[in-house]
Amino acid sequence: MTIASMRGVVKRYGSYVALDCIDFDIYEGEIIGLLGPNGAGKTTLIHALTGLTPVDHGTVSLFGQAKQPFSRQNKERLGLVTQDITIFDELTAKQNLLFFAGVYGLKGKEKQERVKEALDFVGLGDKGDKNPAKFSGGMKRRLNIACALTHRPKLLIMDEPTVGIDPQSRNHILEAVKKLRDNGTTILYTSHYMEEVQAIASRVIIMDQGQMIKEGTVEQLIETIQSEEKVRIDVTEPYLVPVNQLEAIAGVKQVAVAGNQISVISAAGSGNLDRILTIVKERTGVVGIQADKPNLEDVFFTLTGKQLRDRGERE
Amino acid sequence: MRVISTLPFTLLRMLKSYIFLLLLLVVPMLLLTFFYFILSDAVNESGESYLYETAISQVLVFQLFGGSIVMTFIHYDLFTKHKERMQLLPFHLPMYAASIVACGTLFSIILGVCLMVFSHFVLGVMLGNELWMLVIICLMAILSSLVCLILTFSVKSFKLAERLSEIYGIGFVVLAGLFFPMPQTPFFQFMGSYGNPLALSIMSVKEMNRGNSSEALQYACILLLAIAVLFVVMLLTGRRKWG
Ligand SMILES: Nc1ncnc2c1ncn2[C@@H]1O[C@H](COP(=O)(O)OP(=O)(O)OP(=O)(O)O)[C@@H](O)[C@H]1O
Ligand SMILES: [Mg+2]
Repeated sequence: MTIASMRGVVKRYGSYVALDCIDFDIYEGEIIGLLGPNGAGKTTLIHALTGLTPVDHGTVSLFGQAKQPFSRQNKERLGLVTQDITIFDELTAKQNLLFFAGVYGLKGKEKQERVKEALDFVGLGDKGDKNPAKFSGGMKRRLNIACALTHRPKLLIMDEPTVGIDPQSRNHILEAVKKLRDNGTTILYTSHYMEEVQAIASRVIIMDQGQMIKEGTVEQLIETIQSEEKVRIDVTEPYLVPVNQLEAIAGVKQVAVAGNQISVISAAGSGNLDRILTIVKERTGVVGIQADKPNLEDVFFTLTGKQLRDRGERE
Repeated sequence: MRVISTLPFTLLRMLKSYIFLLLLLVVPMLLLTFFYFILSDAVNESGESYLYETAISQVLVFQLFGGSIVMTFIHYDLFTKHKERMQLLPFHLPMYAASIVACGTLFSIILGVCLMVFSHFVLGVMLGNELWMLVIICLMAILSSLVCLILTFSVKSFKLAERLSEIYGIGFVVLAGLFFPMPQTPFFQFMGSYGNPLALSIMSVKEMNRGNSSEALQYACILLLAIAVLFVVMLLTGRRKWG
């Protein structure tokens, strides 16, 4: 069943097209990953989907309602984990959650239970009475997530929930997201981190410059670029490598030399590794060989020509 | 009325906003204590002690600035930091704004009462009809909240709006002649009396204490009128901001 969808959505900021004819559906019970480099339009897409930003064209429908997708009733079924941390620094962790739980109409014992549940869920069960001003970045992020959980939303939208946090907090969050899915929550998950999306998402949308460039399961996406095989060979004297000879091999598409490394891209199934190695070894010493199995990162790179993150950003 | 459940938390957030407590409670307490030591038993020409006069104006002066907390909370909760999350909550946003105004005004009144209690019980200053003074404090707190709201809604830059709200406060203190005497021209005479909420509130409290209740009431009515006018302006600017 479709829980949310967009049809032909266009959003402009002045002459800049932030969303360019976006079409997609979110199905009940899935974790859908939204990938894209900085400025791709992920947050804008989320804002359009939740009614925070009016769109210039197209339709948004939430929980089967296209006429009034942003009704109060629908708001009650929606949870948003904002990209920026938006918790109240003056209140304790527990009071923060009580504030939101109250707005969603929870009362009395049930409210207390849900708040405790949300705190436990993000691993802050023993920090309820602490002030978030004294929390680490990762703990603030987790509280930020918990704020969107007390009302048990049907659709949870998470805008880069793991930015800038320690691996331990990240694992906790990823496990929690999977658990939420198992409990029936549908999740739209945005991230800069391929590994995260590859690990949890059942379906992935890749965005760049306001456009959706590809959509499918992780396996499907990888298949689309598996029409190629890539071999990287580290050699001792790269200038001795007969590039023309390699290029002449049947099925070879491209040969590139960078530093001490030669990469050869051939059509899938051409089984060229042996031939390539023989030719290379005739001229120079071989130090290492890598035959890459493509991952989501390669899909992204092939489609957009961009790395999802700068090298420096990785830990 | 989901908004009601947020009231205690908003008030709690305000009571934990240490900057505001410092500026609106600790500073006036220190000033009052300072005046207590330098003025001691001095009396003015009408036989009222200077300390009595000073205490009344100090308590009321700081009511001019009470609206700043409303301004800050509205700005962060509705227009910047918390904006997205608040807009997605299943409640009526203007009602939430109203609840912040109510809490902020109450916060300002509570601080006013604290200053009265401090003057009375710690410094031993007799303030006269304290119930009437409380009424006037309420009027001043509402007025300040409205002024700050109008500024938040109508001025694009929040920094500028904040500065303007300070000018509202300091300006009327100066015009009331509390820093130094004002020129005796008709304009300044008006701005130091009927055209000045601070002057009106001080006069109202003093007249009540002198037993001139009809005059006290008259001054209070002018304040009430100003509140009514500003309330309409606030609604208009607010509606324009929300579109
Ligand atoms: N209010 C706005 N006014 C003008 N331009 C905007 C506005 N909001 C976003 N943009 C532009 O739209 C583009 C998409 O921004 P968006 O925040 O959606 O990207 P993102 O994919 O979420 O990026 P990030 O990974 O950095 O969060 C950016 O180029 C941004 O500059
Ligand atoms: Mg973003």
